[in-house]
Amino acid sequence: MSTYESKDVILRVENLSVIYDGKTIIKDINFEEKDTRRGGKVQGQTIAFLGRSGRGKSTLFRSLTGLETPATGKVLIPDIAKYNTDSSVIHLKEVHEGDVGFVDQKYTLFRHKTVYQSLHFAMRHAKTGAKENKDIIERHLKDWGLTKVRDQYPNELSGGQRQRTAILEQLLNSGIFIVLDEPFSGLDVGNILNVKEAFQLVNNSHELNTLIFSTHDIELAVELADSIYIVGHPKLENGELATYATLLKQYDLKGLDLAWKGDLTPEHLTLIKEIKQVMLDS
Amino acid sequence: METIQKWFRPFEVLKLEQRLSILTIWIAGVIGYWFMTTSGEKRLFPPPGKVMEGMRDLFNEGLMVHIGSSLGLCLQATLIAIVFSLVVAYLSPVPFLRPVAVAMSRLRYLPLTGITFYLAVMVSDARTMQVWVLVIFMSLYFITSLLGVLKDIPQEEIDHARSLKCSRWEVLWEVVIKGRMDYVLDVLRQNLAIIWMMLVTVESILVAAGGLGVLIKNSDRFMNHGRIVALQLVILLVGLGIDLFINALRKVLFRYSKI
Repeated sequence: MSTYESKDVILRVENLSVIYDGKTIIKDINFEEKDTRRGGKVQGQTIAFLGRSGRGKSTLFRSLTGLETPATGKVLIPDIAKYNTDSSVIHLKEVHEGDVGFVDQKYTLFRHKTVYQSLHFAMRHAKTGAKENKDIIERHLKDWGLTKVRDQYPNELSGGQRQRTAILEQLLNSGIFIVLDEPFSGLDVGNILNVKEAFQLVNNSHELNTLIFSTHDIELAVELADSIYIVGHPKLENGELATYATLLKQYDLKGLDLAWKGDLTPEHLTLIKEIKQVMLDS
Repeated sequence: METIQKWFRPFEVLKLEQRLSILTIWIAGVIGYWFMTTSGEKRLFPPPGKVMEGMRDLFNEGLMVHIGSSLGLCLQATLIAIVFSLVVAYLSPVPFLRPVAVAMSRLRYLPLTGITFYLAVMVSDARTMQVWVLVIFMSLYFITSLLGVLKDIPQEEIDHARSLKCSRWEVLWEVVIKGRMDYVLDVLRQNLAIIWMMLVTVESILVAAGGLGVLIKNSDRFMNHGRIVALQLVILLVGLGIDLFINALRKVLFRYSKI
């Protein structure tokens, strides 16, 4: 059994709902995630959201990043400005546009900025000085294998380089949270590996780093995440499915001793089956 | 034989030399057709010899000066029109100002003659009037095309900038203005054919300031067909030259541009 400790709340979503033109897209979303501590190892959080198409995952993600103003409820994240590494006390604040990094499935970048310029732009609000910013960027370029393409534009990058740049850019900008909307969609096996490695780099670089991603690949979610949420249309009392989406189920893979295993075990496969059924019923 | 068959198969991708061969055949065909159809007594177009003669006459009458005058007018009007159009189009994402840009785009259906009448009342100098007639019409076309460029910006690019803590004005600056600078040159190039045609028309309406339009008007008056066709060729070649120049400029200035 992997030993870990769940400490402070790092993400709290309260009574969240989003309505577009009178139509409720998501409703009554409530959940919270805690900072995971594993003795002697820097361990960030990886949270996966699964759900069938058209079940409001993208809307939920836009709300988590502050890009969408909810009709009700709020999203609370750690206030990094008040975070003190010595006391490790986490104060929560309401999320605003730009607080949480957002990577869409196309790995959008500024088309007119080179890799270096993009990362430099991402750090423009950092409280560190220009020299330190430069050092941080150089170090990350090296760690993420992007030094050779530092002066290339997005249209000159390979798929893997583009993915790493998009994730790194958000990491340097937002600090600890990165939301990725279907980051594995349409990727070949090599690119999936690239993104998985990028996840690892983010997770291992800071205790509070938290990756939230959606995917249709249940196996991948079970393999990578330490917490999985299923989003779908709930069943109403009359047996019909509601027209709005909400959280149907949560699986804490840490508690189930299925997190951080690397390979899939028979227990993982049982879980995959169960998740599949929950999704089909929604 | 199989190669020739490929030339007539839809969506067939050919090698460069084959494409050049097809182009050569067409050019030779057009020139041959021109020679053949203009060799008899009855003819619609002047023969190549007459066109060459017309070209020589035009050179002797200061063709290059007229080309310079037309290009000068084009440049002057384009600069004013593009600056004005950019301001209008770039401010169109501001909801309160959007109707202005949309209305201007719709005004492109206005007839040229109505505008020239009012301009003639307001402006006395022929050259200034030429410039402003062109500026007004070019702006309407530019605004239409620029609004199309802005409309095609994917929501993902806006969200990406917002997720990087860009204020709304920063989004406008980074995604719309800086991020689509190459598109401005492309809009200019795409509209060039209309602009160039309009320029010659405007010059021929207001003959006092010279230019290729004046040469056309004079040749027209004396029914000098050789000169008219020679002039048409000159106008076509200068227009194509500007098109090539702008496209090359876009590729040199914007390495990331793949439109």
